[in-house]
Amino acid sequence: MRVLEAIFLVFINPLFYKITLTAATPLIFASLGGVYSEITGVVNIALEGIMLLGAFTSVVFTWLTGNVWIGVFMAVVSGVALAWFHAWGSIKWAGNQVVLGTALILIAQGITGFLMEPIFGKPGQTDFVGKVEELRIPGLADIPFLGKIIGETSPFVYMAFAAVAFSWWLIYKTKLGLRMRSVGENPEAADTLGINVYGIRYFGVLMSGVWAGLAGAYLSVGEVGHFRELMSGGRGFIALAAMILGNYNPVGAMLASLLFGASSAFANQMQSSSLIHVSATVKPLFDMIPFILTIIVVAGFVGKSHVPKADGVPYEKEA
Amino acid sequence: MKKVLIVLLAVLFVVSAFSFKAIMVTDTGGLGDKSFNDGTWAGIQRAVKELGVEAKVIQSYEQADYISNLSKAAEEVQKEPDGGIVYAVGFMMTDALFQVAQQYPDVYFAGIDIAPPSEAVPPNVITFLFKEQESAFLVGYLAAATTRVGKVGFIGGIPIPPVERFRYGFETGVKVYNDLHGTNVTIIKGYTNHFSDPKKGKDLALSQFAEGVDIIFHASGACGNGVIEAAKEKMIALVGSEDLSKVIEYAFEKGGYFAMGVDVDQDYMAPGVVLASAMKGVDTASYMGVMWAYNGEWTPGVHTLGLAENGVRMSPMKYTKGLVSNRTLAELEYLVTMIKGGTLVVPDTEESLNSFRTPKIEFPF
Repeated sequence: MRVLEAIFLVFINPLFYKITLTAATPLIFASLGGVYSEITGVVNIALEGIMLLGAFTSVVFTWLTGNVWIGVFMAVVSGVALAWFHAWGSIKWAGNQVVLGTALILIAQGITGFLMEPIFGKPGQTDFVGKVEELRIPGLADIPFLGKIIGETSPFVYMAFAAVAFSWWLIYKTKLGLRMRSVGENPEAADTLGINVYGIRYFGVLMSGVWAGLAGAYLSVGEVGHFRELMSGGRGFIALAAMILGNYNPVGAMLASLLFGASSAFANQMQSSSLIHVSATVKPLFDMIPFILTIIVVAGFVGKSHVPKADGVPYEKEA
Repeated sequence: MKKVLIVLLAVLFVVSAFSFKAIMVTDTGGLGDKSFNDGTWAGIQRAVKELGVEAKVIQSYEQADYISNLSKAAEEVQKEPDGGIVYAVGFMMTDALFQVAQQYPDVYFAGIDIAPPSEAVPPNVITFLFKEQESAFLVGYLAAATTRVGKVGFIGGIPIPPVERFRYGFETGVKVYNDLHGTNVTIIKGYTNHFSDPKKGKDLALSQFAEGVDIIFHASGACGNGVIEAAKEKMIALVGSEDLSKVIEYAFEKGGYFAMGVDVDQDYMAPGVVLASAMKGVDTASYMGVMWAYNGEWTPGVHTLGLAENGVRMSPMKYTKGLVSNRTLAELEYLVTMIKGGTLVVPDTEESLNSFRTPKIEFPF
């Protein structure tokens, strides 16, 4: 009974919902990145690396300029730069996208690890450089319960949801979105109709750099104000899972990210409960929840996941 | 051209002829972890300065690197005419260390934070362990004495033995304070299952603060940066300023939110908000290892360093000493002498923690 009571208390605690949102925010950004890239037909597992580079760049420029938003902007620039390598290798040179993505992750880990010493004078982690303050929305913050969840939180949280709305509109309501999807489904047909397959794919992959770069900036200057080697902690891969679980759809990816965020927030709250004692050995089980859900969905137990038909297949124009 | 090369090689050989080499193989945490890798390296650097040995570091990026890096280091040491010593850093390298040490019986090996898997330790191996529980005991006692809400928190990384020993000590410190002062301070415990993800530490700390704790002790590597950040954020929101004197003034009158650091003195990371740190003198250990190997005073086996050996200690509380009553400071001082003298033994296993009974302690004041 105490367990049930503890679970009940978690669900009526506004902090549970707030942490769900903040834990989901980097996943939402990164999984959006995945959606942009994959619906145009380019598998992008480099998200993890782009996030890490974004986290690093934002700290470097925040430290140099003293302005966190310049840091955030530069995270986006660095994300696009790394994504460009992916686009260049996988679109122009028709390279194996999984191999390229893996290589980019390792490169990002290497670069950020190496540059610590020359820039900050010490490896491992930086000191606190500054961070984006929480935004208090007057009025909203005074509403009981709800105000504690969304009335005062990181601006990145609002940005994430705005990005989802924008992406849904772009992908499903504009000509460009239709082209992106057609290039991912059937590039030959799209090409015959005069659509620039390469150009559209470049756009998709570079946009994934924008979103994953923002995800990285949120992790460092958005939350803790410093950089730590490998601080992305596998979120790029969880974001890929969220994208698949969300059926390659911005809204679906957001919902899946929220689910994953909720499972980690739930684990936090249960561990912190004064009513019951969750032993350390049970904790890893909580961390598995996102992946178990993903396997269930990918295996087709819940609905059918629609993978873009040309996803992962390089397009080579017939001469 | 060939001659020049030969001369160069000869010069190189002569230069390196009379040298003793200390090579450190890091674990995946790597240099810059502000914890045992950096600590070990600091001790070796001290040996470089004071004994004139040569030093080198090999970074491991994944667990699969451990065996190959240790072997590489051992072969390099073998080439030195005066030999040398190879350092394996961190609990995760236990198996790799003992496997490689057997293959190179003529090379000295030292393990930091490593417990031998069996009783028999090869004659070329020493390992250093720390009585983390003793420094954690002190911060636990301090936390129980300082909390205003009767609730404190513990956040661990992955529950490996050194992390767990910190927890045993922390719990014991709180219990002893309760027994001596008739209070009922409770502990909330949690693990991040990670050592390098600050966001996870921050989220867990926010959850614990919301559950009503006001002081959190972390033993979670870089996740702890997030724990400290969470405490800082909550504290600044209360005080309305980051200014040290304002934070201390507020904390002195009304309490607030605090973190407690681990491994090294982390008090500076958020002055006034980090109440104290449970420090581990890894540098002392690694320096001792090099010195023994260099001077030929090699005593193989396990060396466990506690308060008495200056292997662990509590930070001097540079910023926060004013928040603690003189009586508590004196009590801590007295407990330190009791632990050093062996009259108070802090449990280092789950079983001994469960069966721990506070001995009769009478402060002479």
